[in-house]
Amino acid sequence: MIAGARQGRPSALRRLVAAAMARDLGTFIIPGPDIARTHGLDIEATGLHRVTSPRHASVLLVIGAIPPSLRESAAVVYAQMARPRVLFVLGTDKLFPLPAADVMADLSQQELIKGVRQLRSAFAEGAFYPEVSDFDAPVLQVRIEYTCPMHPEIVRDEPGSCPICGMNLVLREAQAKAGHLHIDHQEMGASMDMETASTHAHGSHHSIDHGAPVEYTCPMHPEVVQDEPGSCPKCGMDLEPRNAPAESNHEHHHMTHDEPVEYTCPMHPEVVQDEPGSCPKCGMDLVPRDIPAESSHEHHHMAHDEPVEYTCPMHPEVVQHEPGSCPKCGMDLEPRETQNKQSHKHSGMDHNGMDSDMDHSSMDHGDMAFMSMIDVTKDLPRSGDGLPMEWIEAPFGPFFPGLPSGLLLTLTLDGDTVAGSNARSLIENGELLQSSSMDTGSFVERLTSFDPLAPVAYRYLACRVLENVAGMDVSANTANARIGALERERIASHLGWLALFAQQTGFDWLMRRTTSLQLKFQHADLEQIVALKPAILTLTKRLQRTPLLKSRMAGIGLLARDATLRGPVARATGIGDDARSTDKVYTTLGFKTVSRKTGDALARLHVRLDEIIHSLALIEAAGAIELPVPTIIGEVSGTGEAVVETPRGVARLRLTLEMGKVTTAQLDTPSTHHLALINPLIEQQELGDALLAVGSLDLSPWEVRQ
Amino acid sequence: MTTVLLLLLLAVGAYLVAVVEDWTVSGRFRLAAPVLAGIALLGRESIVPRKPDRIFFEVAPFLLLVSAILGAAVVPLTPDLIITDMATGALFINAALVYVLVALLMAGWGPDGAYAMIGGWRFLGQLIAYAMLIVMPITAVVMRAESLLTTQVVVSQAGVWNIIYQPLGFILFFIAAMALAFLPPFDLTTSKGELAGGVEAEYTGVRLAVFRLGRLALIITLAAATVIFYLGGWQGPLLPPWAWSTIKILAVTTIMLLAGRYMPRIREADLLAWCWMLGIPLALLNILLVGVLVLVFP
Repeated sequence: MIAGARQGRPSALRRLVAAAMARDLGTFIIPGPDIARTHGLDIEATGLHRVTSPRHASVLLVIGAIPPSLRESAAVVYAQMARPRVLFVLGTDKLFPLPAADVMADLSQQELIKGVRQLRSAFAEGAFYPEVSDFDAPVLQVRIEYTCPMHPEIVRDEPGSCPICGMNLVLREAQAKAGHLHIDHQEMGASMDMETASTHAHGSHHSIDHGAPVEYTCPMHPEVVQDEPGSCPKCGMDLEPRNAPAESNHEHHHMTHDEPVEYTCPMHPEVVQDEPGSCPKCGMDLVPRDIPAESSHEHHHMAHDEPVEYTCPMHPEVVQHEPGSCPKCGMDLEPRETQNKQSHKHSGMDHNGMDSDMDHSSMDHGDMAFMSMIDVTKDLPRSGDGLPMEWIEAPFGPFFPGLPSGLLLTLTLDGDTVAGSNARSLIENGELLQSSSMDTGSFVERLTSFDPLAPVAYRYLACRVLENVAGMDVSANTANARIGALERERIASHLGWLALFAQQTGFDWLMRRTTSLQLKFQHADLEQIVALKPAILTLTKRLQRTPLLKSRMAGIGLLARDATLRGPVARATGIGDDARSTDKVYTTLGFKTVSRKTGDALARLHVRLDEIIHSLALIEAAGAIELPVPTIIGEVSGTGEAVVETPRGVARLRLTLEMGKVTTAQLDTPSTHHLALINPLIEQQELGDALLAVGSLDLSPWEVRQ
Repeated sequence: MTTVLLLLLLAVGAYLVAVVEDWTVSGRFRLAAPVLAGIALLGRESIVPRKPDRIFFEVAPFLLLVSAILGAAVVPLTPDLIITDMATGALFINAALVYVLVALLMAGWGPDGAYAMIGGWRFLGQLIAYAMLIVMPITAVVMRAESLLTTQVVVSQAGVWNIIYQPLGFILFFIAAMALAFLPPFDLTTSKGELAGGVEAEYTGVRLAVFRLGRLALIITLAAATVIFYLGGWQGPLLPPWAWSTIKILAVTTIMLLAGRYMPRIREADLLAWCWMLGIPLALLNILLVGVLVLVFP
């Protein structure tokens, strides 16, 4: 039996179905295919086929050790998968909050193939089981909270109105654990699993800035209070969220809660009832609002000395408080007295969750039984195209098929235009030093595993900086051979980027081609690399002739020259910034900087393609490939610095050594800088263009230092 | 009887298309793959999202299937093998396939998920792009046939197939047909890399099976329409009419499925701009040219 079996007595027919299912296993890869490739795994070759929505997956394949925050997201993905589902884990046993693995194997292609065989038989036998248990995890718990549609930082436990704009807060569901919350649910938020409330597709939880109301404290040391989750500096326990006792908010709550609450439809303000429920007209969930005290109503009355409004003789539903013409027929509107007291009373209440303030016009609209689209949308935020729409917040990541795995891009979407964004890495790769002093050997290993997308570059960096501190140098042959390994990694990394780009844009041929080339290049020796050269040249030529490619990328993700840019992204804007150009070993090998001028996604593609070809030449000139091996430097003390041009740009490492032990390490990485570019880069872009722009930066969430 | 036979043929066709599609995706030719995939889908849970618009969510996959089958009803495989040779057949295809938009919008709205919803709305934009380029080339085709009967359209190509007679119309119609079938590079609505599957993302199990079946039927219907409008329908030497129809439809389907693998997905803005600024003037030119040709060589 498998833990994620579907309920049912295993009858003969079901056994047959299970056997068929075992032959057709859709697989969702955690953290993602990019990481699978860097481990040299060819998933498709094993007969598993990759799917991009957890809903379509039967297998959740976890590759290698992943940080806790990604495991939480993975648990959400697991909950979204339809039964029967299996958890297949390679090379790690730290899974919580995921359930125990159904099949485990080591991290290699042979083991993967063996595991798939096991998986198939487990699936064929155990896909149906009479009794199944629900999967539950803390990350899936949901609580109800209230937030302002205009000010997402306002989050309350109870209904009320926004202290900033006075709008009624709308209900949404959030993860029980504060600080992390799911995509909101107001009108069109995420859909959820039947058994577990979880977020939409890949968007697992994302934290938003709660501003004042939530703070974190240690259960044992109440004096420890901070704004962000983390662990207690005194005892190391995880801090727990609590509501901050912000005085003003408190008062506000009190005031609003003295008043009775009623429920109304955001689209049909005339629908008002005492209990929650759904609107009889449009089926939307009713939102709570306060019934204002009589006094405010009085006030409102007085403000309108002349309760006159204007309406169209032909279209009585057209009502406004100023003269003008009818938007429907163009006739001049005629003045009339506002109708009876009853309706006026109605107007005194703020009538829907969308008006940002209580101005007169919005009050008058309360008279109407019908709200036109103009009224409904008039106070919604406008985007660049001037088309008012309800904004939704949608998470893309951390396992989104078109983005680097581990990157969580939360987009506020206005239709399909990006109105705002928040990008962060979910991989907490902060501490370089595992202890206050680390021996040099394990420090090199730590940096090697720092970024699985560029292990050689960081290993090289660690070796270089140690040699610099010790004032040692390596032989010319070793230096050349190291460059061979670095450049090989650059080729593999750029091919990996091409595969991601191809995946994002549905360019299947390119994805297949680059995936297989990347797997071949990763551990190729010099001979094999020379043999692969024609394939690379064919690929680049082919890309030049590809229809739609230019129109897809030109002008997208435009970046101006800027000192924060690194690597191929910088060189695509014409900056000749390359750490290799000042490296003697490189210049003797004939290194030349590759650059383009336009600074868009297309230029980045071309820079990377040119770099692949140039790296091939460099490897041939170097004549050897050898992974950097740390030199034994003895009990040296001192500080030193080194730079390396990683596939994503220059990384800089500064170390302090005391008696041969590393005591401090400061690392500056390209993706850290590039992550900050995202927001301005994609604002007001169409969704597809925005994703392409983010993808073209070739971020590695693993090397982001937050 | 004909109806049953044709529906069976449609099912067989859908199966073959699934095999071809599996081949284009996996690179392997496996006759059994669609059976396995189909059974696997039926064996899996069919999840209803937590806050669905239930009616939209449930109806959409069926509407897609029904719309495609309705379109297929006026496609003749041989002079006699047609479900209904409607007097307005050529335009009926277009009318029936308008419901593809409705189905996709419903599938996008129904599950209450951001990706699906954006996928659904994207197809609305796509309709605005392709719709004219379906109707206007058909206009030129029926001008030559002087009839809206699909059988008559085929007969009118006895001398020269329309692909030669009006190549411009063929190119426009073929591209528009691919956009209507949301095949890559026009798969904006179900894009994997941008929307994790878009309108398909929330469907599982039986509902997904119906949705995919509807999509396969839609591809066949459009390939068959391309064949009867431009490739001389059942006409051809030596082989019997049904064989020619089958060969041509499968060939067109294969090209439709393969083309998108060799290029990136089109930008929605480009699709709209090109269809309106380039496609429609060309379609008008095509009508004009065909009009002249019809007058000169009656």
